[in-house]
Amino acid sequence: MDCVISGGNVRVLAKAIHSLSRIGEELYVEPQKDGLALRSVNSSRSAYACFLFAPLFFSRYTIPTCQTFRCKMAIKSVQAIFRSQVSLEKTVEKCHIKLEEQKNRLTFTLHCKHGLLKTHNLSFQDSESLQAVFDKDSYGNVFRCNPRLLVDTVTHFPPSLEEVTVSVNDERMWVRNHVEEHDQGKTMLTELCLGSDEFEHFAAQNHNSITFCLKELRGFLVFAESTSLPVSMYFDEPGSPVVLCVTDSVLEGNFVLATLSDDVNHCRSNTGLANSSPPPPDDFMNDDMDSYLISMDTSIAPAPSSAGAPTPPFVAPACSKQPAVANHRARLYSEEEDEEDLGSSEGPPNKKFCSLFFGSVLPPSSQTSTQPVMTQEVLASDSEDDSEV
Amino acid sequence: MKFRGKIVDVACLNHFTRVISTISKLTKSCILRLTPQHLFFVLSGKVTNGGVSMWCELSQANFFDEYQMEGFSPEDNEICLEVTPENLSRALKTTQNAKAVKVKLTKKHCPCLTITAELPTLSSISRVVTHDIPVEVIPRRLWHEFKEPSVPDFHVSIYLPPLKTMKNVVDKMKNLSNFLIMEANLRGEMNLKIETDLVSVTTHFKDLGNPPWGDDASQGGGAARRWDPEAMTQARVDIRKLQQFLIGQQVNPSKAMCNIVHDTVVHLILLHEDVSLQYFIPAVA
Amino acid sequence: MGWRNVPYEALCLCFRTTMPLSTQSQPGEQHVFVASLDNARNLSNILKAIAFKDHAIFSATPNGLKVTVEDSKCLQANAFIQADIFQEFTIREDLVGFQINLTVLLDCLNIFGGSAVSVAGMSTVLKMCYRGYGYPLTLFLEEAGVVTVCKINTQEPEEPIDFDFCSTNVTNKVILLSESLKEAFSELDMTSEVLQITMSPSQPYFRLSTFGNSGNAHYDYPKDSDMMDLFQCTKTQTNRYKMSLLKPSTKALALSCKVSVRTDTRGFLSLQYLIRNDDGQICFVEYYCCPDIEVDDE
Repeated sequence: MDCVISGGNVRVLAKAIHSLSRIGEELYVEPQKDGLALRSVNSSRSAYACFLFAPLFFSRYTIPTCQTFRCKMAIKSVQAIFRSQVSLEKTVEKCHIKLEEQKNRLTFTLHCKHGLLKTHNLSFQDSESLQAVFDKDSYGNVFRCNPRLLVDTVTHFPPSLEEVTVSVNDERMWVRNHVEEHDQGKTMLTELCLGSDEFEHFAAQNHNSITFCLKELRGFLVFAESTSLPVSMYFDEPGSPVVLCVTDSVLEGNFVLATLSDDVNHCRSNTGLANSSPPPPDDFMNDDMDSYLISMDTSIAPAPSSAGAPTPPFVAPACSKQPAVANHRARLYSEEEDEEDLGSSEGPPNKKFCSLFFGSVLPPSSQTSTQPVMTQEVLASDSEDDSEV
Repeated sequence: MKFRGKIVDVACLNHFTRVISTISKLTKSCILRLTPQHLFFVLSGKVTNGGVSMWCELSQANFFDEYQMEGFSPEDNEICLEVTPENLSRALKTTQNAKAVKVKLTKKHCPCLTITAELPTLSSISRVVTHDIPVEVIPRRLWHEFKEPSVPDFHVSIYLPPLKTMKNVVDKMKNLSNFLIMEANLRGEMNLKIETDLVSVTTHFKDLGNPPWGDDASQGGGAARRWDPEAMTQARVDIRKLQQFLIGQQVNPSKAMCNIVHDTVVHLILLHEDVSLQYFIPAVA
Repeated sequence: MGWRNVPYEALCLCFRTTMPLSTQSQPGEQHVFVASLDNARNLSNILKAIAFKDHAIFSATPNGLKVTVEDSKCLQANAFIQADIFQEFTIREDLVGFQINLTVLLDCLNIFGGSAVSVAGMSTVLKMCYRGYGYPLTLFLEEAGVVTVCKINTQEPEEPIDFDFCSTNVTNKVILLSESLKEAFSELDMTSEVLQITMSPSQPYFRLSTFGNSGNAHYDYPKDSDMMDLFQCTKTQTNRYKMSLLKPSTKALALSCKVSVRTDTRGFLSLQYLIRNDDGQICFVEYYCCPDIEVDDE
């Protein structure tokens, strides 16, 4: 492989790498006929991102003709090459990427103003093919907007927040922070409601809710915002991955993020909106103040009428061999759950657990509920896994 | 108990946000008392918060365009909540260019203060952000713990120098020592001192002026009248507590003053036309 | 290139600010060293350039003030502030020396914030006094009528290491605009234990190399670059220096406008930084570093 990127496109490549670094620790490089593919996947394989830069993106693009070549390397070391935003904007004139297979190294050379030459020789490992299987075109829910809209949306949430829930109906999209049952009553719930006409394209065939990690969405937006290209979001039912895309004539970026396959997720909303019609117009004077009456005695927790079933964030086996994240679900049975279950069926359960138990036993669906926790399908929760590794 | 309020004016919203942000720097959790005319943020001096106490009073009419409340009972027409100011501050910061911000007491999965803001957009449907901030309702029988503290029988009362200058000095002193001695006299002089094995530093402020308390000062035993005007009264305090208070300079107070009870307590007061913030830092040996 | 014979721009002497009465030294108090500055930043800024260890050795001579900081007997940094940078510089002995905690001194000098542009061009006026062995260094700082008095304890000075870096033994020397090295230093691969410097009359002329966990990197500066003020290399020389030792010099780099890089026959490194203060006067900071002994022959 021997390719040259000039001027502003170096900055685009740099943004893509920064963006990928929010996903995983390793950068997978694969020069293909249709362009240079840069990919990353997180350690629990619940988030995957891929950029494909078409040959026209480069001022020179030559790849080995005989066999396919793939490698991976620490993304941090690639990121370091493009660390300084200032120098990328002011001094870097072109970037030369050259593969020296015999030496097992990939060389990035930055040609800068005043004749300064920065050469980075990075060692790499051979890698397997990394491809996520997803079919975004079959998805019922498709939205397209200016990246600014999503950037403005995520700024409402604190940096520490792990997951967001997105719900849609025909006219609106709601984005809120995902709060575990046991944190309700402690955590601030923030919800943003966006009208469909803020989008360039708004098609919601399935009125449902999905929950996914905010960190990777933020990573996607790092890139999308810098290009100002319209972004698309595709999703289906909970449990199927959400796909975020940004495309123009010379590049394509796809971020595939797992969603919680939490059947009851969509009834957990702070304004009860997911499947309902939009809330009635809020007339300040006519608002029924009595509905906001609060009982004096706060020692008794309010009945979990609107609370959903528990979603213990079970962690999938650390590194699945299966690279695809689509529909990657794990059926898990752990001893801890068993004990919890036992505990709840004997003696007076504590309040917190009680609501958890009832939430599980009384789902709206007809599923058998004798051992609700054990039979629950849960998707690998990446953020949890990341912290463990 | 019901409460709802609405802020439309941008300047009022910014001001309210700054006040809440200042409070959030002072304490993780505090009591919010709502009365028909006022909002009070209260921290009572428990050992767990280092003996520090706080009293912040806001006149509702100066912030809210609409304000409706119904308290515990007609006789006790108040609502008393435990809140996390950091949450309030975070919520308000996301509503800075809102057309209108509403604050309501709501019953969600738990009692909440719900902050709703309509954000400007080009779309015909408005963009609405809602924050449900969990609060705890304080039962009537505990209200007595959150009464306004009385002005202590101070030896010296003095106006503070520009808070920005004071903050710079205290920040640097913080790097050098954990404790600071504040001393002042009735001639308008105040010193900030630290002393360690390595260094001693004293910053001298003068011509600060002493507030005329008149007969109000005699609330206690009138210690100030018996105090030698030239003599310095002093209190040694935890420097971090003073540092936290000085972040309050962002409220841009019209008056800032300090009362010192010798070796006992430092009582700091910030006054802005419609806001008053009092902060008590106990002296340490 | 000694610091004394470096040409500097005409000093713009400001009117001397008179200290308030309370800060005047008491009559009868005999100071061996007194110096004052209209702008304390002119001292604090240059001291920041060498502030990588707490202990600093102050040596004042009639020519000016030299402040020295050392690390592991392998690194030495010196800041020079000429006597005429000060509005008052009185010394009653040929050499006044003491050791002081530099971190504490910097906090004191910046007690009023030390920000670049304070309101209405206000600056902190400084007066330093030292009575002699065993006495603290006393600072009087004044800004907007507020006075701070600091007494910083001093210790007996240790003898600074003599690196014996002699200009006659210099093999290679380049002078670069600091800007171009700043970029390189901010991007250095910190997983590399050493920074290797190659200077040569032929290619690669001037090269900085690192050898990190995930590969190596080379930064090459051609000798005819606009960034190169002077290029005097006589012999190809490659030396390695501990990254941990050189990293603190980034502070000096950040404040300077030009840097002179020299190596001598033994491979010792001298980095001289030209620093312009708020009033446009020039001061110098110099770093000396021993080469890393364990040179890899590979």
